[in-house]
Amino acid sequence: MEKTEAPETAVLALHRKFLEGGQVKASLRPVNEVGIQRFETLKFPHKKHEMYTFVNTHELTTTVFELAGDGPVDTAWMQDRIYPACRNSVLVFVNGAFQENLSNLSALGDTFRISCLSEAVADDEIKTLLLGSLEEENDVFAALNGAFVHHGMLIDIAAKAALEAPVQLLYVSTGASSGAVTSHPRLVVRLGELAEIKMIVTYAGTRDNYFINAVNDFIVKDGAGVTYTQVQKDDAESWHCSKTRVHLHRDARFFGRNASSGNRLTRHHYEVRLKEEGAELLLSGASVLVNQEQVHNFIRIHHEAPHCTSNQVFKNVINDKGRSSFDGTVIVNKGAQLTYSDQLINNLMLSDEAHADSKPNLMIFADDVKCAHGATVGQIDEDQLFYLKTRGLSQELAETLLTTSFVDSLIQTIPFPDVVADLDTILMKKLEA
Amino acid sequence: MSLLEIKDLSAGFEGTDIIKDVSLTVNPGEVHAIMGPNGSGKSTLAKVLAGHPAYVVSRGSITYKGKDLLEMDTEERALEGVFMGFQYPVEIPGVNNAEFLRMAYNAKLVRKGEEEVDPLDFDEILDEKMNLVGMDKKYKNRFLNEGFSGGEKKKNEILQMAVLDPKLAILDETDSGLDIDALKVVAEGINKLTHENNALILITHYQRLLNYIEPQFVHVFSGGTIVKSGGKELAHELEARGYDWVTAPAQ
Repeated sequence: MEKTEAPETAVLALHRKFLEGGQVKASLRPVNEVGIQRFETLKFPHKKHEMYTFVNTHELTTTVFELAGDGPVDTAWMQDRIYPACRNSVLVFVNGAFQENLSNLSALGDTFRISCLSEAVADDEIKTLLLGSLEEENDVFAALNGAFVHHGMLIDIAAKAALEAPVQLLYVSTGASSGAVTSHPRLVVRLGELAEIKMIVTYAGTRDNYFINAVNDFIVKDGAGVTYTQVQKDDAESWHCSKTRVHLHRDARFFGRNASSGNRLTRHHYEVRLKEEGAELLLSGASVLVNQEQVHNFIRIHHEAPHCTSNQVFKNVINDKGRSSFDGTVIVNKGAQLTYSDQLINNLMLSDEAHADSKPNLMIFADDVKCAHGATVGQIDEDQLFYLKTRGLSQELAETLLTTSFVDSLIQTIPFPDVVADLDTILMKKLEA
Repeated sequence: MSLLEIKDLSAGFEGTDIIKDVSLTVNPGEVHAIMGPNGSGKSTLAKVLAGHPAYVVSRGSITYKGKDLLEMDTEERALEGVFMGFQYPVEIPGVNNAEFLRMAYNAKLVRKGEEEVDPLDFDEILDEKMNLVGMDKKYKNRFLNEGFSGGEKKKNEILQMAVLDPKLAILDETDSGLDIDALKVVAEGINKLTHENNALILITHYQRLLNYIEPQFVHVFSGGTIVKSGGKELAHELEARGYDWVTAPAQ
């Protein structure tokens, strides 16, 4: 009797090919090995997997991928995706590999330093991070990223540096292969004490049928701050996984916002550790989903020290057969007194077949904390609709205004006008149809 | 011709009439006060006039400018000059206050066959109206009513009234929840907006508002109907004696 091949087999075969193919960097090989071992231990999620309760990965895990090689990128296409404010502060990556000739770092000065992870791994802190995080990794896709990491970048921001210009990292998925392709970008951003950075990460594709599987780490030292916006505007026929790990030291801040246009499957995984007193976190996410698009957010926030703050706000507008989920847990450790934590998830459903799952969760082991969470799923608010109509707005105009404003209230909080304008085009247009 | 004529109106929701056999005639230039205890049906009357979809009219008629008001959609009534000031103005995060006001203003212009105004021209109009109702300019670019104090929400209602210049304004408990200073500002704003060609129905629980806006007619609502009508002196009498002496027979 013929046994059906496990989907993991194709990944292991691809990994052997990768190791033999000469792309591997010797210094990163231990990382690749720990990554694939972790992958073999964890295996692809089954239906009842706690971390993937709301996310069906069957289509993704049964697709056989090739590693995306180099592919041509149309310059005009790419210029269109660079925000005007970032023309002199943009880093372009094609299939995960940094492209120096397409990038422009002229506005960034010498307090902004980049290096290849294959070199940066000589730094003990980076080595410990890369290997340590993989050994404990419980998300199979992040483990998979480790198994294939060979480009990867470390960005170091010098202590006390305050970069004026927002930095854009543009991740382009491309490739000439007719079959499905995958890439595994890896990024580590390390901010020295009291450093400040504004960063926009954009994911886009010149083709369909690709899987981008990114892992990003932020090490934020004492008093440093990151203002971060992640724009997922991949091709509709693609898959996207990104894991963002944030390590916040004393009085460090991470203000992270994501906006997603959705695709076959987008999953954002956040793992945040507020390690020392006074750390502050904001995570927000907005998505507009039509057809069969999906966006999922999976969040684990660890309050490990007293006097830390975390805020989460997520809003999705879901039409047609769109699907979204939020699975977020805030863990307040013993001793993390005077923690303030808030979680809010709002879903606006525009069709009977739209689907949203919300699982806000609190695990509190300290006794002097202020924590709240809430989730709503609903249709257009009748009272709001009535209010607008009493002012002479037509039913149609009032409905459009209410659906766009639902996500716009979050998008308008993004502190980069170029990004807000971009999202007004890509997300709001979907609601006008 | 009277502006508004309510005849033998009964209405409510889910098959239960909340207001019963209400008749009221309002002419241009008039200010009517509708007073009464909580739960007497005052707000229901306002919502029926504005066209809230949850309320069903079981009998009677409402004629507005000679037309059947009940045949008109909510937005149609608004475009024809009916304005309702909400007791609890709705918060709409994501909708910019100034943009919303411009949309409402333009909807009315389009109705009259006139050209829409652009944001720049509207800004001048808005400044003038905000001065009129004593509202801080910072509220222009806030989200509609979101996080406004009670007083600012009510001022924002009056600002909308100023922008839309209605023929018939029904203000539902615009005074409730306001401190005396905010009340004076709001009342002054309302006074500036009333003239001989429009009419005002003030719904209130307290006589206090009527110290600042003088009605020609006062109606007492109880048990879903008007149990007593009179001149402004009726309001003072209600203040002194309470509602029991007029409402007791109805209940």
